[in-house]
Amino acid sequence: MIVSRVWLIARREYVERIRTRGFLITTIMIPVIMAGFTFGSVFLGSRVNTDQHIAVVSTDTQLILDLQTELNRRQNQQRQQDAAEVPSTPQPGTQPGTPPASPLQPHSNLLVEAIAPGPDTRADLDRQLDANELDGYLWITPAPTPDARPTFEFTPRSSREASIRNPLAAALGAVLMREQLNHRGIVAAEADSVLLPVQIVTAHRPHHQDRESAQISVLVLFFIMYLVIMLYGMNVARSIIEEKTSRIFEVLLATVRPEALMAGKILGVGAVGLTQVGIWLGALLTVALSAAALHTGGSVHLALTLGQVVFFLVYFVLGYLFYSAIAAALGAMTNSEQELQQLNMFLMLPLLVCFSMLGTLLNAPDGSLARILALIPPFTPLLMYMRISLGHPAAWEVALSLALLSASILAIIWVTSRIYRVGVLMYGKRPNLPELLRWLRYS
Amino acid sequence: MPIVRLSHVRKVYDTKVAVEDLSFTIEPGTMFGLLGPNGSGKTSSIRMMIGMTMPDSGAVSLFDQPFTRTALWRVGYLPEERGLYKKMNVLDQLIFLGRLRGLSAAEADKRSRLWCERLQIAEAIPKKTEDLSKGMQQKIQFIASILHNPELIIMDEPFSGLDPVNAALLMDTLVELRNEGRSILFSTHRMDQVEKLCDHIALIHRGNLVLSGSMQQVKSSYPRNRVTIQYHGDNAFLNHPAIQSLKRYPGRAEIVLRPSPTLQDDAQALLACAIQRASITRFEVTEPTLEDIFIEKVRETSPADIGRPLTMAQLDEPKGAGHDSE
Repeated sequence: MIVSRVWLIARREYVERIRTRGFLITTIMIPVIMAGFTFGSVFLGSRVNTDQHIAVVSTDTQLILDLQTELNRRQNQQRQQDAAEVPSTPQPGTQPGTPPASPLQPHSNLLVEAIAPGPDTRADLDRQLDANELDGYLWITPAPTPDARPTFEFTPRSSREASIRNPLAAALGAVLMREQLNHRGIVAAEADSVLLPVQIVTAHRPHHQDRESAQISVLVLFFIMYLVIMLYGMNVARSIIEEKTSRIFEVLLATVRPEALMAGKILGVGAVGLTQVGIWLGALLTVALSAAALHTGGSVHLALTLGQVVFFLVYFVLGYLFYSAIAAALGAMTNSEQELQQLNMFLMLPLLVCFSMLGTLLNAPDGSLARILALIPPFTPLLMYMRISLGHPAAWEVALSLALLSASILAIIWVTSRIYRVGVLMYGKRPNLPELLRWLRYS
Repeated sequence: MPIVRLSHVRKVYDTKVAVEDLSFTIEPGTMFGLLGPNGSGKTSSIRMMIGMTMPDSGAVSLFDQPFTRTALWRVGYLPEERGLYKKMNVLDQLIFLGRLRGLSAAEADKRSRLWCERLQIAEAIPKKTEDLSKGMQQKIQFIASILHNPELIIMDEPFSGLDPVNAALLMDTLVELRNEGRSILFSTHRMDQVEKLCDHIALIHRGNLVLSGSMQQVKSSYPRNRVTIQYHGDNAFLNHPAIQSLKRYPGRAEIVLRPSPTLQDDAQALLACAIQRASITRFEVTEPTLEDIFIEKVRETSPADIGRPLTMAQLDEPKGAGHDSE
C-alpha cells in the first residue's frame, strides 16, 4: 500500500514537472549554450594558433636560409610523427580514452623573414612589433673571430611569444652544428643522418589505456553528478517548501505517511533530472558516435566495459538519491528559498571535499585513505566507483558500500520525514539544533 | 459505538498548553460542532484526531479502536488552511487526491465530475487551480476531502471565507451527508452557524472543555430569559423592574430578564407595559444564544474575566508567534 502511494506521489511530481515549459526550455537551451561555448572556444583557440612571423636580422644570408630550411624540416617531421601515431595506437577491442591531439591542435608555423641590418632596422622592427605585424625578431651579431660563435638576441612581442625561443634555439643549434660538420669535411647527407632528431613514439600498454579511460570516466561521473546535483538537488527542497507555503501537506499528511511522501518526492523530482540528463547524454552520444563514425569509417568501440557502465549507473543513481535526500532534509528545515540558499553549501561541501582529494586518490586507489573514504556514504558514489574503475576493491567492500549508502538514504528519509512532519506544524522561525533533535523524538 | 472518542487528552507545545484534559465523544450519524474562539485549541484537537500530532497524555480512538493510520482511510479531512497544488489542473488534482485515498483512477474521475456538478463548479473542471477564485478553490478542497465517501468527515472552519450563498450550499451538503448516515465534526468560531446545524456541541476555551452535550440539552438547561423587542415611539418601558440588563439599538432592544420563578409572566407584563406607550412590531422570548451561553460559561470558569464585559472578539487571543497552538 505504501509503495503504491510513493508511486502516486512520485508520478504526480514527475508528470507535473515534465509538462512545464521550463523543462522544455532547459532541455533545449542548456545543450545549445554548452555547444555555443564549446564551438566558440574552439574557434577562438584556432585563431590563436595561426602562423607566427619573425624577422631574422643578419648579414649572413646563408645562415638565415639554413635556419629557414631547418625549421621547415622540423615542422614536417613533427607532422609526420603525429600522423604516424594515429593508426599505431588502437588495440583490438579497446580505444584510447583521449583522441589524438594533433588534428585538433594545429601547429603554428614559424615564418622567417630575412632582413639585412641597416642603421634604423632595430627601430623599424620595434615599430612593427608594436603594430602587431611581427611576433618577434632575432638579431644575429656576427662573431668577432671566425672560431667564435655569433651572438643571438631574441626580442619577442610579448611574453606570450617567448615560447618561440626554444624551437628557434634548437633549430639554430642544428644549423650551426651542420656548418661545423661541413667545415670538417663531412658531406651534407651524412650530416643530416647525424643530426636526425630522435623520435619518441608514445606507445600505450593495454592496462595503462584502461586506466586512462577509467580516470576519465571517474571525472565524467564527477562532473555529471556535480551538474545534476547543482541543477536538480535543490528542486526537491523547493518542492517541499512549495508544499509548505501552499499548505497542501496537511491534506497529504492526513492520508500518507511522511516517509512515503518524502520518498515519493525524491523519486519523482529525481526522475525528472535523470530524464533530462538522459536526453542530453543520448543526444550527445548520437552526435559523438555519428561524428566518430564519419571520421573512422564506422568502426567505433566504446571505451567502457559493460561492468563499468552498470557500476556507473548504480553509483550515479544512488549518489543522486543520497544528495536529493539531503536536499529534502534542508527543505524540511526551512521555510523559504532564501533560507534554503544559505544551506546550499551543505549539499556541495561533500562533493567539493571529494573532488579536492581526487588527485591524491587517483594515484592510490587501493590505499587505506581511499579504502576508508569510499565507505563513507557521501563519498561512496564517487570514490567507490573510482576504486572499481582504477583499483581492486574486494567484493565485500563494494557490497558494504552499497549497503551503507542505501541504508543512509533510508535513514535520511526517515529523519527528514520526522523533521518535515513536526516542522510543517510549526510556523515562522527556523529551528535551531536542540529543537531539531527534539522534533526527532516527537512522533 | 462512538465514532470518535477523546479521553483526557492533553497537548503542550513548548510551554503553551494547547489542550488540557479534553474528553468528548461523537456518535454515529451526528453533526458535531467544536466551538471556541481563535487560539482555543480547536485545530490542535482536530490534528490529534487525525494523527498529525500525538497527545502528550490521554487517548484518541477512531471507530471504537485505538488510533491507527489505516483508520484514516475512512476519514475525510478539510484543514483550516486551504492548500491545493496551484499549477495543477482541477480534475487531475481531484483524481490524484482521490487515488491517494485508495480510489481507482476511473472511480475518482467519475466522482469528481459528479461532485463538481453538485457544488455548481462544473465549469472549473478543465481549469488550472490557480485561475480559480478563492471560494471555488475551497469548494474543490471540500470535494477532495469527501471524494472517498468517508464515514467520518472532519472539517476545520469549513465556511470561513465563503460568501453567504456558497456557505449555505456547503451547509446544505453537510446536512445531506449527515442524513446519509455520516458523522461530521466541524469547528467554527461562529456560533450562529452551529445553532442551525449541530446535533451536539463542545465548547472549548483556552484548551479546556467548557460545555458539551446535545444542542437541545444545552439550550433547555437555560431559562427562556432573553427578550427582543422592536418598537416605534416611547421607550420608557425599558425601565421595567423585570429587566436585569439590556442593549439599546435604534428601534430595538435586547433584554435579559431578572432571574425569577415566574419568567413567563414577567415577559408578558413587560409586553403589556410596552404596548401602552409604543407600537410593537416584534416581541420574542428565547433561550440565551450559544454566544451568550459561551460567554457566561467562560466567566464562570475563569474568574479573572469576571467583572468586565466579554465579547467573542475579546475572547480571541492572538496566536503565539512561533507556534500554531490551536
